[in-house]
Amino acid sequence: MPRGAILIRLGLLALALLCAPLAAGAQPPDLRIGVLAFRGAERAAAEWEPTLRQLTARLPDYRVRAVPLDLAGMAEAVRAGTVDFVITNPGQYVELEAEQGIVRIASLASSGDALRARTVASTVVVRAARQDLRRLADLRDTRLAAVAPEAFGGFRIAWREMAEQGVDPFTQTAGLDFLGFPMEAIVAKVASGEADAGIIRACLLEQMAAESRIRLEDFRILDARMAPGSPCMVSTRAYPDWPFAKLAHTPERLAKRVVLALLSMPGEDDHAWTVPADYQPVHELFRALKIGPYAHLRHRSATEILHDNWPWLAIAVLGALWWVLHVARVEYLVRRRTEELKRAHEEARRQREEMEHGARLALLGEMASSLAHEINQPLAAIANYASGCERRLAAGTDSEGVAEAVHRITGQAERAAAIVKRMRAFVRKRVPEPQPLDLNEPVREALGLFQATAARQGVVVSIRLAGTCPLVRADRVQMEQVVLNLLKNAADAMADQPRRETTIATRPRDDGFVEVTVSDSGPGLSEDARNHLFEPFFTTKPDGLGLGLSLSRSIIEAHGGRLWADESEGGACFRFTIPVASENLP
Amino acid sequence: MTCGRCGSTEPCSPTIHVVDDDEAMRHSLAFLLKSLGVAVECHPSAEAFLANHRTDRPGCLVLDVRMPGMSGLELQTLLNRAGSSLSIVFLSGHGDIPMAVEAMRGGAVVFLEKPCNDQLLLDHVAEGLRHSTEACGRAATTTRVRQRLDSLTSRERAVLELVAQGKPNKVIAYELDISIKTVEAHRAHVMEKMAADSVADLTRMLVAAS
Repeated sequence: MPRGAILIRLGLLALALLCAPLAAGAQPPDLRIGVLAFRGAERAAAEWEPTLRQLTARLPDYRVRAVPLDLAGMAEAVRAGTVDFVITNPGQYVELEAEQGIVRIASLASSGDALRARTVASTVVVRAARQDLRRLADLRDTRLAAVAPEAFGGFRIAWREMAEQGVDPFTQTAGLDFLGFPMEAIVAKVASGEADAGIIRACLLEQMAAESRIRLEDFRILDARMAPGSPCMVSTRAYPDWPFAKLAHTPERLAKRVVLALLSMPGEDDHAWTVPADYQPVHELFRALKIGPYAHLRHRSATEILHDNWPWLAIAVLGALWWVLHVARVEYLVRRRTEELKRAHEEARRQREEMEHGARLALLGEMASSLAHEINQPLAAIANYASGCERRLAAGTDSEGVAEAVHRITGQAERAAAIVKRMRAFVRKRVPEPQPLDLNEPVREALGLFQATAARQGVVVSIRLAGTCPLVRADRVQMEQVVLNLLKNAADAMADQPRRETTIATRPRDDGFVEVTVSDSGPGLSEDARNHLFEPFFTTKPDGLGLGLSLSRSIIEAHGGRLWADESEGGACFRFTIPVASENLP
Repeated sequence: MTCGRCGSTEPCSPTIHVVDDDEAMRHSLAFLLKSLGVAVECHPSAEAFLANHRTDRPGCLVLDVRMPGMSGLELQTLLNRAGSSLSIVFLSGHGDIPMAVEAMRGGAVVFLEKPCNDQLLLDHVAEGLRHSTEACGRAATTTRVRQRLDSLTSRERAVLELVAQGKPNKVIAYELDISIKTVEAHRAHVMEKMAADSVADLTRMLVAAS
């Protein structure tokens, strides 16, 4: 439309508007029509001029005014009720219909031979040279040019088609340029190669070719199809064109008059109105893209997520279940194995104690006759005293002697009890109990048990104990067992010797250990004995078990010490060390 | 109460000797044995006993077999070799048969195990004391006879031997080539010096002294 013509028409419109009140003789009420002016107020006025003219002619008792608005302004005007009717694109109509309850009363139609509802479709155009781009699906990772994110024909229609082919224009393309109007700029960008593809309204390309601004063969339309009732090639399905809608508050009577005016409007510039079209396809588009009235669909419910992703969820749940079971099983196994280990440990400890106990019994058993003799001595003495007393009492003489004898009997009974007590302490079944200990004490106890055997076997024992011995941390009975075992070995080794002497000594060493030495005047150790001394079941005695030294060594080592056979001139010499208890280190 | 040497002419009363290395044992035995009314002495070892006491006096040893140093059996052997008249009662805490056999063969009164019946012990000790006293008495007689024999002259001794053989004075005079009167004088001296009442008495003395 030439610019001059538009001005003339606007002038006429203004004239008509000015004349109307004069004709009525009173100030007529306003009839305000909001028009979506996406290409500026001027072009909007020009575009809708025939419609306004028709309405002014048919509704002389109203002052008909067009209010050009952008998308946001339109929404605001509808919300505020400052307009009575709106003319807007199908997209916004659907949104306002849902939000504000506006109702379409007519749809834009082409005024050709047959009055037909007009449609909107989009064309996605690329350069013909781009052989790789044939379908909308090929647009992945390409640079795209379009009008605006909210543009219906200029973006959203194509967006839906792309989404259906699996390409999200916002996230899966190399770039999305919104160039606004005019759309020719998009075609120019595609032609120059700055954009790989452009989204434009249907027929624009053909129109530009008709004006010789481009050559059709330089371009290719993706997914090209014929638009119904149009000579143009498009890339998308078609949607109903713009509606004329009334607001919720607009009186029915007025709406009816407007509808009559619109429907009776002669087609001019391919602008005419017909009965309202079905905007369901637009709804579907919005629903599919989850925008406008369907934006809430983006916030999907848990049920939907579950429904859409149930295999993954099932896998995740199974995985979690498996993991929980696995953890539980591992936990169970660990607990069970720990329990088993603890039991085995306990069993081993118990067996060790059994063995040590057995060894103590055996050791004492070997000395049994000596010990029996030792107990027998006080018993015999007691018997003698008792008989002597009896005789004196019968004779009625020497009451002083009787009194002394009774006193002596008590002493001898205590002596026997002490021996029994010492033996019982040594063979009692018990759990080892390391405690701060002066090593001289178990040495003395062992000597006490050993003395009868020494006397019987004619062994002279020299005792050289350290005056003060730093405390060690050890089990008293175990230490006694080791010492007694060494003393017994010494006595046994010297059984056939004319000279039978053994020496036991304790000595604190400079390196934080207390050392106990048992040496004898026996024949010494053979090479073989020296090599196998500490092996279990090695013995040189005809009735020995061969456990004494191996057990002694394990006891000493469990205390952090060492037991070994030392070189000595004549006879054998055994030494063991026990670390001084840490709190007693100087 | 002390005791004179065996064989001496002094009055002879016996002593009990307890030899044991265990002090309590020694003391209790002494306490018991004192009820016999005899002197009791205690010794902690065989060596101590030997050091303190002459072995030629009557008495009874109550002897422990096993002691440090010299054992009871060794002491027995030593005393036998010295011709001691001490009798021995062995007491053992852990006696065995070979030990007992050896002890009895060595002339022990008895071999008892500790603890033993007190009456048994006292009886045997009493028996030992009696034996020892008798032996001691025998020894005293011998000594006396020897002393008397020593007081004889060689001529009297020759006459004594022939008298003991039961030869008449005539034969003696002939064999010694002396007169009968001389034989009778010597014979009277011999009977006086030997304090013999008869030839039979004289003969018994000579047997005891041999």
